[in-house]
Amino acid sequence: MDVLDAQLVPAVDGVAYGLLLFVVAAGLSLAFGTAGVLNLAHGTLYAVGAYVGAELSDGTWGGLAIGLVAGTAAACAAGAVLAAATAPLTRRGHLDQALLTFGLSLIGGNLLIDLFGADERPVRIPAQLDTSVSLLGHRYPAYRLCFIAMAVVLAAVGTWVLTRTRAGAAVRAAADDPQMLAASGISPRLVHTGMLAAAGALAGAAGVLGAPIIGPGPGTAENVLMLSLVVIVLGGLRSLWATLAAAIGVGEVQTLGVSVAPDWAPYLLFAAMAAVLVLRSRAGVLAAPGGHGADGGEPPKDPAAWLRRRVTAVVARGRSAAVRAPGPAARAARRAAPLGALLAVLVALPWFADAYSLSLAGYALALGLLAVSVTVLTGYAGLPTLGQTAPFAVGAYTTALMADAGWTVGPVQAIAAAAAAAVFSALTGPAVIRTRGTTVLMVTLAVGELTGTAIGQWKSVTGGTDGLAGFPLSRPLWGSGELLEEGDLYLYALVVAGCAVALTLLLLRSTAGKLLTGTRGAEERMQASGHPVSRYLLLAHIGAGALAGVGGALMVTVQQYVSPADVGFEIAALALLAAVIGGTTSVVGAMLGAGLIVYTRDWVAGSWPGHGPLLLGALFVAAVYLLPRGLAGLARRPPDHGEQRGAAAERVAPPEKARAEQGVTS
Amino acid sequence: MTPPAERDVKTMGRPPADPVLSLSGLTRRYGTLTAVDDVSLHLATGARHAVIGPNGAGKTTLLNLIAGTARPDEGAITLAGRDITRRAPARRSRLGIARSFQQPSAIRELTVLENVMLATWRHHPLRPGAWRRPKRLRQLAATASGQLEAVGLADVVHQPAGALSHGQRRLLDLAAALAARPSVLLLDEPAAGLTDRDVVRLLRVLDDISDDVAVLLVEHHTDLVAEFADTVTVLMAGRVLVSGPTREALSHPEVRDAYLDPVATAADAPASDSDRKG
Repeated sequence: MDVLDAQLVPAVDGVAYGLLLFVVAAGLSLAFGTAGVLNLAHGTLYAVGAYVGAELSDGTWGGLAIGLVAGTAAACAAGAVLAAATAPLTRRGHLDQALLTFGLSLIGGNLLIDLFGADERPVRIPAQLDTSVSLLGHRYPAYRLCFIAMAVVLAAVGTWVLTRTRAGAAVRAAADDPQMLAASGISPRLVHTGMLAAAGALAGAAGVLGAPIIGPGPGTAENVLMLSLVVIVLGGLRSLWATLAAAIGVGEVQTLGVSVAPDWAPYLLFAAMAAVLVLRSRAGVLAAPGGHGADGGEPPKDPAAWLRRRVTAVVARGRSAAVRAPGPAARAARRAAPLGALLAVLVALPWFADAYSLSLAGYALALGLLAVSVTVLTGYAGLPTLGQTAPFAVGAYTTALMADAGWTVGPVQAIAAAAAAAVFSALTGPAVIRTRGTTVLMVTLAVGELTGTAIGQWKSVTGGTDGLAGFPLSRPLWGSGELLEEGDLYLYALVVAGCAVALTLLLLRSTAGKLLTGTRGAEERMQASGHPVSRYLLLAHIGAGALAGVGGALMVTVQQYVSPADVGFEIAALALLAAVIGGTTSVVGAMLGAGLIVYTRDWVAGSWPGHGPLLLGALFVAAVYLLPRGLAGLARRPPDHGEQRGAAAERVAPPEKARAEQGVTS
Repeated sequence: MTPPAERDVKTMGRPPADPVLSLSGLTRRYGTLTAVDDVSLHLATGARHAVIGPNGAGKTTLLNLIAGTARPDEGAITLAGRDITRRAPARRSRLGIARSFQQPSAIRELTVLENVMLATWRHHPLRPGAWRRPKRLRQLAATASGQLEAVGLADVVHQPAGALSHGQRRLLDLAAALAARPSVLLLDEPAAGLTDRDVVRLLRVLDDISDDVAVLLVEHHTDLVAEFADTVTVLMAGRVLVSGPTREALSHPEVRDAYLDPVATAADAPASDSDRKG
């Protein structure tokens, strides 16, 4: 009884936290379900509300009210901007939209810091609420109780609007069958804009009211986004009740869990998540267990099956490249030309670049390998991933720990890192490969994020958030000297990356690449032809994981330091952006993309300090709008007769595309 | 009242002595809807069997149950005496069940030839190690292009599959199914959306299918069914309405009501005048 009594306060805290997450996640989930936008800027919308609210709340009721109105309006407007930005991309698929919103969230985050400063903001609430009340013999902040009441009202109003009003009916219809809705005279564009604006308003209101719980600061946006994503993955998108249960479950883990078992709480979220993913990947027909997820969220319904039906389409670019063969040798030469040119530049680099640029170039090679592994998964296997930072991290930490233990031979480190990352990917793979489309983005994001959490927690091995540093330098071969000079380090990285890329190219150009292309392009057909599609995808996942592991090893060798920030969500998004810049099916393009990103973030941003994220965000936006087919699309020859025919056929009878779109939107 | 004729029409046509594919009591429900309701069917080697029925009768679901993309709630499927009810689609394909799709999907980025090579990949006797032996790869390619020639796509083998017309894509799908050298071939409305000329070509391709393949054809096109099938099963709301030799089945009064098509009318109905119940 004493134990129960002592945990009362965190348990009630958990309800408040959970309701806050529910209001935020409901907006995210509705925007995804109806507008089809995986809004990675959703956390930023919350932050907008939180900053505006904190700025205007001066400790009076009036201030709070003004803050609420202004914060909600500001976030609503930001949501409308997102809608306007993503609307032209609705035909291009979820991946581009998700990247665009991420780019905009980088820009928005940077602007918020410019406007409000980089410190955590104190939040002032009306004095009457800034007291504590007695709750079963415990002192408890009045504001939180009040917040619980307000969140319940907010949630109830939202549910009422959704289920009882005409606008709500339109929204539900948009989730179900947008074509039917369009036929009945309601513009999908209007629903798209309205939905994102409403989601923004919800997030903004939650931001103002929730600021005393999750306050405005530089990390707010990401924190809120991650927790909301966890909530909607756990709760699924089907019913608001499931989302509510999942939100409260996550809230309890974050509060009660931390209080009961501080060492284990972060893993609790991870364990619940993993359990849900594994349960879901077993058979699509999972009977809904009735238990509400107070223990971290069992799946109240089976949203995976629902999502799978919705998002049957693989996020991939249908291409009808004209193959007008000018002889195999000439073709090979033409294909190898960009690779050769790139290689020549890279080899010559140490002779005309300074040490700083060289270390950046070495890092770009490591990031490039990560981007190539994303390309293999996204472009070939059709599994758009935000989670390749997980095997990347495994490789990086393996290398750092090996160096610490005295194993300093670089190639041995790289191979061990690859092996460790491959094992890791083999373990996480089954959960990833059962899903398709945007669901993959979410599942892999969860895997990456929770791996990051585990790394941050496991202080004895990983050094926690401080990371690992001060381990012996690598040596390129047995008996040779340490890699001290920037130039030597860079050349070593170049050789390793070159070997890894060459091996990848060899595999992708062989039948293995065709089998993967087939799996992505016509999975049903491949299955009906006897191909064990899941096995191919798992192998691709393992291979890509190994590649990312080598990338991680290289990163550690080059920068001689590793911390959770090096393997976080932003790096995952950068790697995906690099892959998209490259054209998602081009290995060389992905390397170039990684180079461009590092150049933008660390080199150009050097002349405008503090605005790296802004520039990166601009790069995201530019890449999504200006390079729909990536750098590889630029290199392709202008359409000739064959391609025109292909395009015409596509217009007349695009079964996969049409079906893909239906699958996505219906 | 002519009992022998009625038995012929109504019963399952008695299971052949050694059926290559047997369905017994297959049932599949989607929520409260029973899409396929206690369907039994036996196909002998070389059978040409058609399944017809109005939209929503459960034809495609039945095909999906056999191909493995849907699982039955009840009932069993045996292929050459082997229970395959719980096998994955890919495994069934390797055991000898091939299918075409109502909406064929091809791998757009790859050429037509590569599409068929991938389709034959898991079935070709020369497959082991083919990916690193150019000679075997060439033989696979030769097999595949032979298949494409057979369906009349010889002149587009090196085009990307994304550039094919709708009719050509159906033929490619058929070639991919045939390239697996199946013992049972499931065809899901192969004539849907084809021009008359394409239908003639399709019929020619179907006629050329070897006699050791059992074909199960789901089709709306009753001309094609009458031309091609020896036996017909009519599904109505998931249940077998009638099953038997083509002429009798097509001239069954309820079937004629549903279709009102010239074949059934022309066949007239000496065998079907007996009133039947249900």
